[in-house]
Amino acid sequence: MMKVIDANKLSDLAAALAAKGYRVVAPVRDADAVRLKEWRPGQAIDTSAISINSAKEFFFPRTETIGRYALEGSEFKPEEVEPQAPRTVLLGVRPCDAAGLAVLDALFNWEYKDAFYNARRAATTVVALVCRTADEQCFCTSVGGAPDSVLGADAVLRSADGGARFILEPLSDKGKSLAADAGAALAEGKAAADPPAEVPVRFDSKAVTAWCGENFESPLWREVSLACLGCGACTHACITCHCFDIQDEGTRREAVRLRNWDTCGLALFTLHSAGHNPRPDQAARWRQRVMHKFRYFVERFGRLACTGCGRCGRLCPAALALSDVCREIEDASKAAAKK
Amino acid sequence: MQMIDAIRADAAKVLQEGRAKLVIGYRARGGHRGPVFLSDPAGAAALVYDDACKQNLAVYLRKPEVRARMPVAVVAPPAVMRSLVLLAAEAQLKGPEVVVLAVGDGVYHGVLDLAGVEALLKEKYAGLAPSPDLLRRIEELAAMTPEQRAAFWTAEFAKCTRCYACRAACPGCYCSRCIVEKNMPQWISTAAAEHGNYAWNVIRAFHLAGRCTLCGACEAACPQGIPLMLLNGMLAEDVARQFGAKPGYDREAKPVIGSWNPDDDQGFIR
Amino acid sequence: MVEAQSKTAGSTAGFQPRIVAFVCNWCTYAGADLAGTSRLPYAPNVRIVKLPCTGRIDPLFILKAFEGGADAVLVSGCHPGDCHYTSGNYHARRRWALFRRLLDFTGIDDRRLYFSWVSAAEGRKFADLINDVTEKVRAAGPFERANPARRRLCR
Repeated sequence: MMKVIDANKLSDLAAALAAKGYRVVAPVRDADAVRLKEWRPGQAIDTSAISINSAKEFFFPRTETIGRYALEGSEFKPEEVEPQAPRTVLLGVRPCDAAGLAVLDALFNWEYKDAFYNARRAATTVVALVCRTADEQCFCTSVGGAPDSVLGADAVLRSADGGARFILEPLSDKGKSLAADAGAALAEGKAAADPPAEVPVRFDSKAVTAWCGENFESPLWREVSLACLGCGACTHACITCHCFDIQDEGTRREAVRLRNWDTCGLALFTLHSAGHNPRPDQAARWRQRVMHKFRYFVERFGRLACTGCGRCGRLCPAALALSDVCREIEDASKAAAKK
Repeated sequence: MQMIDAIRADAAKVLQEGRAKLVIGYRARGGHRGPVFLSDPAGAAALVYDDACKQNLAVYLRKPEVRARMPVAVVAPPAVMRSLVLLAAEAQLKGPEVVVLAVGDGVYHGVLDLAGVEALLKEKYAGLAPSPDLLRRIEELAAMTPEQRAAFWTAEFAKCTRCYACRAACPGCYCSRCIVEKNMPQWISTAAAEHGNYAWNVIRAFHLAGRCTLCGACEAACPQGIPLMLLNGMLAEDVARQFGAKPGYDREAKPVIGSWNPDDDQGFIR
Repeated sequence: MVEAQSKTAGSTAGFQPRIVAFVCNWCTYAGADLAGTSRLPYAPNVRIVKLPCTGRIDPLFILKAFEGGADAVLVSGCHPGDCHYTSGNYHARRRWALFRRLLDFTGIDDRRLYFSWVSAAEGRKFADLINDVTEKVRAAGPFERANPARRRLCR
């Protein structure tokens, strides 16, 4: 016997979980796009397309207060800032987002255990939604993932009976608690799982990792990055990109220390106060982007820092896609091997 | 001959004849359109041009890698042609540096230099203005109370992640150090919080006041779908109404905010 | 004197607007000084920031004032033709003409933003201006909640 729910009743599941005290985050329609947002009662949950934003912001927010200081007369008083980590369910994130959490888990627990990230992570139950459809930007299968991967998920929703229903399969203790908390919103029943989307492999990531180790000075970096405008659209949309900037903002009474999303795409990212920039052009910055995801992270943590969600390619104003660049690298790697 | 065939033929020709060392045009990447940089005439076959081509290619003229290969030929619809004229007016572009494959209104106008572009714009595209739909949406906002407008923009700017795709996509944003990157003092908060997002978007719109050619590249670039053209369109209408100025038509034009007239309106000043 | 004080202090238990004024050194600041030396009473709600010229005023200053919690901003300088630096106020006038429209369009309207020309001889004008603006802002109420530019992370 399985836990099943009618496909058009997902918002009832959200309501049941909200009634049990969960903050529900789910994909909802927002003008022309699907966006992962805090669900409001009555809102329909839209599983028709991958959300334009990744689940990252619910673990690692765009801006977060990590310190607070009061200035009273001549006294400087730091105040503890507790991580804001309400009990949350991510209801219906794609497997590429769930898998991206494994990358963030490794990074935020590397040498320093990030209390802010970990508090949110511990408080969140991740319910992944197996993809029934994919588009030409998806490339999870090229980076060791799959449209029905369960990595990083506490439970998984699988489309069933031709899209009429979902099967909810709890995977972890958190997932089992969630299923119990869902109560009558989930029925016991049987359903036939629909096949997941087909995502053709677009490039050989091992070839990319290998080539990156040998070709730091290659002219290919300049060619592939010529279209790049040097913004941060790709890094901000990316589920695994995690670079941040610490900023202090204050007045004479009070100050806060903020952790803000940063991006290696900007020239400012590595600009020294003396004026020197070790990554002086977009070629060097693109090299860094690819190396970080396909080489350095593999060397440090044994996994790629990319789950193939394809948001970078979908959102880039210059239609530059990481998967296209990786394909060009693989081609270059093959051409070199022939010589 | 189809318009695109003529464009491709001319792109190959300007490279063959040495009128340009690099052609910047659009190519198809699935359903998207991206830039293509051609130095080989044979590559001209990759060029496309249609309504999905929303990027303003003039923006690449600030990249050192592109400048090193000038003269450059650019496939340009009217809004992009205006950007090129604006850049020339602001001493960012010299005549011999660029050659234009001019398109507009479903017509291909051939290969032009900047003087030719200026003449074409004045002759055929002098009436460019915000679209009726954009004007209607601006009017709707203007009819709201200030509190309603504040709430509208707070909600829109809340989506902003400070990726600066708007800035990166805009040919008018060529400052080597943007105001938001200055930290002594930090004038504009870099946090994706309410005050920082308001300041960033409002100041960027203001820095384009009298300079924006309404190409729409910023709004098209925004990954969050923020309706930036409402700000730019409103300001462009105001610049036209108050100062009779439309940027991007005259290489000799004085900058709108950098210049003044003794008769400028001061009815709002007590 | 007491009567004048109560006129300027406004309702005792009421809201006290916080108004930031960016003024030029040569005209408006001198005019403000003249109001003081002439013992002309005016509302204490204005914090004056002196610049050499209105041409120095970057619109960012206005935004920063709202960010910091100003209920209103006043910008004032020399009359056209009288600028100590010849044309600074002409440049400023153009900037203001456009910037005020942009602010209005995004929720900061002309109950919150005022512009004036006050010469060094216009002490009376300055006092009247401050009193009038203060009352208008008092009537508009605190801007704290509706202010889209307000920094809320630290005050």
